[in-house]
Amino acid sequence: MKKTITFVLVLLTTGLCSAQTDYSKSLSGVEWVKITSKSNIKVRVHDKNEILIKGNRSHRQSEQAKGLRLVGEGGTANTNVGFNVVEEGNDLIVTNLRKNESAEIYLPKNQKIAVTSTWNGDISIQGFSSEIEATCELNGGLRVNNISGPLTANTLNGEIDVIFDTISQSSPTTLNTTNGAIDITLAGNTAADISMSSWNGDMYSNFDIKSASNKDGMKKVSSRKTAGTINGGGVSITLKSTNGNIYLRKK
Amino acid sequence: MEKRNMENKIAEYLDGTLSQSEMDAFQKRLTTDADFQKEVEAFKMLFKDIEQEEPVLPSKQLRSNFEKLLREEKEKQVKVVSITSNSGKGFSQLFKIAASIAILMGAFLVGRYSQQKELNATLASTQEEVLQYKEATLISLLGNESASKRIQGVQLIKEFDSPDTDIVAALGEKMLGDENTNVRLSAMEALSQFSYSEQVKTIFIQALETEENPSIQVALIEILGQLQEKKAIAPMKKLLEKDDTQPFIKREINNTLPKII
Repeated sequence: MKKTITFVLVLLTTGLCSAQTDYSKSLSGVEWVKITSKSNIKVRVHDKNEILIKGNRSHRQSEQAKGLRLVGEGGTANTNVGFNVVEEGNDLIVTNLRKNESAEIYLPKNQKIAVTSTWNGDISIQGFSSEIEATCELNGGLRVNNISGPLTANTLNGEIDVIFDTISQSSPTTLNTTNGAIDITLAGNTAADISMSSWNGDMYSNFDIKSASNKDGMKKVSSRKTAGTINGGGVSITLKSTNGNIYLRKK
Repeated sequence: MEKRNMENKIAEYLDGTLSQSEMDAFQKRLTTDADFQKEVEAFKMLFKDIEQEEPVLPSKQLRSNFEKLLREEKEKQVKVVSITSNSGKGFSQLFKIAASIAILMGAFLVGRYSQQKELNATLASTQEEVLQYKEATLISLLGNESASKRIQGVQLIKEFDSPDTDIVAALGEKMLGDENTNVRLSAMEALSQFSYSEQVKTIFIQALETEENPSIQVALIEILGQLQEKKAIAPMKKLLEKDDTQPFIKREINNTLPKII
């Protein structure tokens, strides 16, 4: 009996501790959540209509910084997790002010999100059923899983790795990178218009891509570019890498 | 020979059915040849007169005269008819039926023709409306907060064979100023279909000066190189001098510059 009480007490204290290092805010009235970070960022789903930013133990402020607030490019931290969070119109602007620490953010599944990595940070997104915009401005890579899009993704040097559950037919999905590779997996029955192009890389696929032919029945031949339909055609999917390879896979 | 040709075309000219090239030749002739001009004027007058001519209604006297004549003629013919009726009755009956069928068919064809013309006119105006609707959709999508929707708007340009200057300007604005790289890239690819247009060329040269994404830069360099666009030389040289220009862009510029003569 005594042991159980101690156990419960320990549980409670750890719960309280972790609660102190997390930050949450209601998302009512918010259309887009726009996240910017220099370091790695993970975005996951939970079933509450609020944003939850998980703070690691290392996020606790050092003794020396006690009573002070973190100041960064994006402003001064107004949270206890090193983030600046402000509402601008229908957008919630979330900026990670710490330059070297990764962060984990939880949002509702149907939240529209725009995530930007401005330096070396990788972006990882998982489980969203609404629109996603993801940009790695410099060296970061992008990994997106179990989503339905539309997805608008761009990297400069990092790889784009995407696995779609299904794909939204509502508006186009575009994946662009200058120096990275694109690796995209779609369900086998996905209906889409596919346009792929790589200037200096190679393109691979195990989908049966029906080439679009011109009025006179001639097929467009180009080593850089291929366009066609899968499963009868549908929403437009554009994959473009200037210097990297492209892999289009069937799930 | 040529003169006769031209004279034959006067009527078409006045009806406004000449093709553009014929029209040009015709108008050139009109300004150089005074005689021809007079002839055209005469035709014009004639056409106008025909249009203005009111249908002449026969006077009552004419009508009664006509009926009188008809009666007289009938009376005269009575005897003749009896001779021809035996041998020609079947044939004239057949002829009458054939004639009425011909009239019926003729009326039907005329009716159908005019209806078709009307239908074509409404079809043309409906197509015009559809284009206007598409243009409005395109412009409104370009203003959407979602990048995917803006790209959808950009891709709508495929629906236009020759987009007007408003559409090109709206896409140019996206290509030069949109915060999302994919939108700028899509706008560039859409506009590159019309790179022969001076308006598009101007946008591309401006973009080469401001764009920082290497994928867009390299595509612009290639397109402007193929077009032998001399105004692109200066921004290309500027990119060569910049430290943060990617090496493969510099290589592309070095390959392209000598080709622009």
